[in-house]
Amino acid sequence: MARINPEFTDELKKYGVFDANACYNCGNCTAVCTLSDEENSFPRKMIRYSVLGLENEIQASLDPWLCYYCGECSTTCPREADPGELMMSLRRWLTAKYDWTGLSGLLYKSLTASISAFVVLAGLVIWFGAYEQFKLEPIMHYGHLFEMFAIGFVFTFILLPNIIHMWWITMVKSGKKASLSAYFKALGELIVHMFTQKRALGCDDNQFRWFEHFILVLGYLSLLFTTVFLDWFSTQSIFIIILGYVESAIIFVVTFDFVRHRIKKDQAISKNSHPSDWFFVIWLFMMGLTAFITRLFIDINILDTNVWMYIVQLIVLVQWALIIVPFGKWTHFLYRSFAMYFHRVIELEG
Amino acid sequence: MNKKIGVYICHCGGNISDYVDVEKVRKAIEGDDGVFLAKTTMFACADSSQKQMVEDITDQKLDGVVVASCSPKLHLLTFRAVAERAGLNKYNYVHANIREQVSWAHSDNKVGATEKAIKIVKATIAKVRNAEALEPVKVKSTKAVAVIGAGVAGMRAAIELAEAGAEVFLIEREFFVGGRVSQWDDLCITDETGKELITRLYNEVMKHQHVTLFTGAEIIENNGSVGNFEIKVKVTPRYFKLQCSGDELKKAIEVCPVEVPDGFNFNITKRKAIYHNYPSEYPQLPAIDMKNCTRCGKCEEVCKAIDFSQTTEYLTIKVGSILLATGFDPYEPPKGEFGYGEIDNVITLPQFKRVIHYNDDKLIWQGKEVKNIAYIYCVGSRQLNGDNKYCSRYCCTSTIHTAITAKKKYKGIHNFHFNRGIRTYGKAEVWYDESSRLGDIYLQSFEHDPPIIEHRNGQTFVKIKDLLTANKELEVAADLVVLVTGMTPRQDNSIGNLLKVPKGRDKFFNEIHMKLRPVETVIDGVTIAGASQGPKNIMESMNSALAAATKSFSLINSGELALEPTIAEVDDTACEWCGKCDEACPYSAFEKIEKDGKLIAKVIPSVCKGCGMCLPVCPTNALNLIGLTDVDVESMIDALIPNA
Repeated sequence: MARINPEFTDELKKYGVFDANACYNCGNCTAVCTLSDEENSFPRKMIRYSVLGLENEIQASLDPWLCYYCGECSTTCPREADPGELMMSLRRWLTAKYDWTGLSGLLYKSLTASISAFVVLAGLVIWFGAYEQFKLEPIMHYGHLFEMFAIGFVFTFILLPNIIHMWWITMVKSGKKASLSAYFKALGELIVHMFTQKRALGCDDNQFRWFEHFILVLGYLSLLFTTVFLDWFSTQSIFIIILGYVESAIIFVVTFDFVRHRIKKDQAISKNSHPSDWFFVIWLFMMGLTAFITRLFIDINILDTNVWMYIVQLIVLVQWALIIVPFGKWTHFLYRSFAMYFHRVIELEG
Repeated sequence: MNKKIGVYICHCGGNISDYVDVEKVRKAIEGDDGVFLAKTTMFACADSSQKQMVEDITDQKLDGVVVASCSPKLHLLTFRAVAERAGLNKYNYVHANIREQVSWAHSDNKVGATEKAIKIVKATIAKVRNAEALEPVKVKSTKAVAVIGAGVAGMRAAIELAEAGAEVFLIEREFFVGGRVSQWDDLCITDETGKELITRLYNEVMKHQHVTLFTGAEIIENNGSVGNFEIKVKVTPRYFKLQCSGDELKKAIEVCPVEVPDGFNFNITKRKAIYHNYPSEYPQLPAIDMKNCTRCGKCEEVCKAIDFSQTTEYLTIKVGSILLATGFDPYEPPKGEFGYGEIDNVITLPQFKRVIHYNDDKLIWQGKEVKNIAYIYCVGSRQLNGDNKYCSRYCCTSTIHTAITAKKKYKGIHNFHFNRGIRTYGKAEVWYDESSRLGDIYLQSFEHDPPIIEHRNGQTFVKIKDLLTANKELEVAADLVVLVTGMTPRQDNSIGNLLKVPKGRDKFFNEIHMKLRPVETVIDGVTIAGASQGPKNIMESMNSALAAATKSFSLINSGELALEPTIAEVDDTACEWCGKCDEACPYSAFEKIEKDGKLIAKVIPSVCKGCGMCLPVCPTNALNLIGLTDVDVESMIDALIPNA
């Protein structure tokens, strides 16, 4: 027995722009959705649950993560209820629910809170620069240390607990039984989806977009590796230097294209932009660009006289690592992959 | 005895001739007694064939005609008109059905079909041999109409009749006009209030000198029939003189010690024995409800207008037609249906509308603020087990409109519609859309799986297996449950019984033919309008009111009525009044008269419909049916079974 909660759509609307009330249950969205099958009416079931405010059912479901937002449903909807954006909003809402700190929900719902957080972190970095009397060497030293610390901290205290929390809500609490061997057998799925977003190929509207996204993920992950572990900014290896340039260039070129689409609103996926979407693409763009320029400044030997450039780079990095990665859109990278993984586990258990 | 009979046998394209050998039929009857001319024709109903028949009748001076073709329902009137055009009395035309009764029914047996066709045509010829020229029965009619019920339908019909030039007697049982519509505030689509609508109609009614309005009035007796009804009206007094000051009335109501449930508010409030339903109600004079008044006299002391000396009046009125617009009763759920009468916060839709009327800022029921409202649809309509199989038509629209009204009037309202498929047909579809966009939640189930009401820990829950959520079990914590009750026929059917108006399956007044004769009843001169005929919204009631007014007017307009002559007749010498014919007659067409010193039965021509129910019960065989006499029938039987 599920209790209807009519207040839920008002809450969900803080996570995205859609009009679930317009839905008159025609089922066109289900008819066009490639994820729909006889047992699971995609995305209608989630729309109906949202209208009825069945929070427990939505939390227990992996469905929102299985959708890669091709936007067919929104294009087809005769009532312009925008089911695709509703699924997107559910992903944001779920991200907030998985996050044990509750900060995700706060940042998603409040633009003021997000901007304040960005400003505070920027202020702290500048204060730190001033504290070090804007000397490049110590700042870069601590900057590099921060990178390593941030990765360890965010992963251990935020991302890992949240993934476990997600597993608890979607698998254990909702009573889905799965054996250890199934978890083991399905591991391949996790790796494949994490690095390839293979499922997005099912959305046959735009293969090029999938490709962009694919190289962006690879570029991002390898730049992370290059800066943190290969110490790109200090290395003398010409190979690593060029590798870093290529990776950072991929990031800002692809994200530039993404921003362009979001401005032009020419694809279903780029039609509705929540502040968290803007933060994500713009910060990723700036990450790539500032890293590229910083290394360029090093190579032409002007960074010493232009410490501000590194400070800017560090500000973007800190904001990214402490806001967007743990509490923002970055997490979809993990939740999607794990949702595919859990989904596979359930499939294996039949 | 007709000696020059023309017989036409129709091919009906191939509809008949594919299975019946029409030429063989023609040959078989050609030599029959009295047959002067026998022809086959491809389409008897075609213009050219009709012209040929007219020529034959006039040139050959035929005195009887038979067309063997389709069902008389289709073309009896066509060929009667042919006869009339040729100067032959239309009752000297007799129709034989060899399509529906022969070719279509026996397409597997051509030989048998032809034989049967021959017999049917022979029998028809036998009948036409005896056919006599008949003239319609003429009856004088009174140019006045009694309209029963001064609701929207009755008032609209009265206005229309008066404008056409009829004298109208508008008879209302209650002390106030307006019927059900006066009980409603905002109406759907137009956003006028019921009161505004009633005010407009009432003012228009009052403008017409030829409309006489009786309130507190009932018909208690009827004599006569179409054209000349003589009705006896009982008028109950209001016990008020015409002028009554507002202040005095207020005091009179205050001091009245009698309190009874207020039917106007569907018993959610109480009223005094002195009452008016709402300020500025029409007629603008309060009334005393003598059924509940104790005659304590307290009101008389404070209000000079009260006059207990008034007495019940009886009037006799003559009218040519009666138009029934007696409306409906809302369905009253039995105790326990969806918790009605057992759980405090379960009420009906009409009650809910009154609750909204009486609550301005906050929606309060039983002292508690209401936020979540659950509407259960089809209560008392579309019943699985129960007599009300019909859809009440108005309720989906009305509920959704009411839900929107509540949502806009009060803050924080959530509407939950537990329906069995929404039927906001026609223009009302926009309301369904609006309610949905305002966030109303629709939950649906089939009739065999209705929602369940539960009351636990001081909270009422409505549960449903929702079709729209893959039959998932859902529940709503409702502050108020509104049962969407349908329309039912008036419980008090005294007027229907008095006029012998038949009822249909659903126990509403029944029309003759729902499509072709939608406002007439089998009782000549009695027409029906509005929800007395079946569930209708205001628009539909207006349509039927205007149609019924027109139909009633057409009966009385010329001052004379021409009625079918094919009715029963009494052989005065053979009749020894026993009353059996009177008992058998469904229309009360017999009266007992004294003639030449003995009591005999007499047929009232304007009432008799020629059904023949009286004939077999007459012990002295004193009854005959004009146009279908015993001689006619016997000769037809002889033709059908020649060797019997």
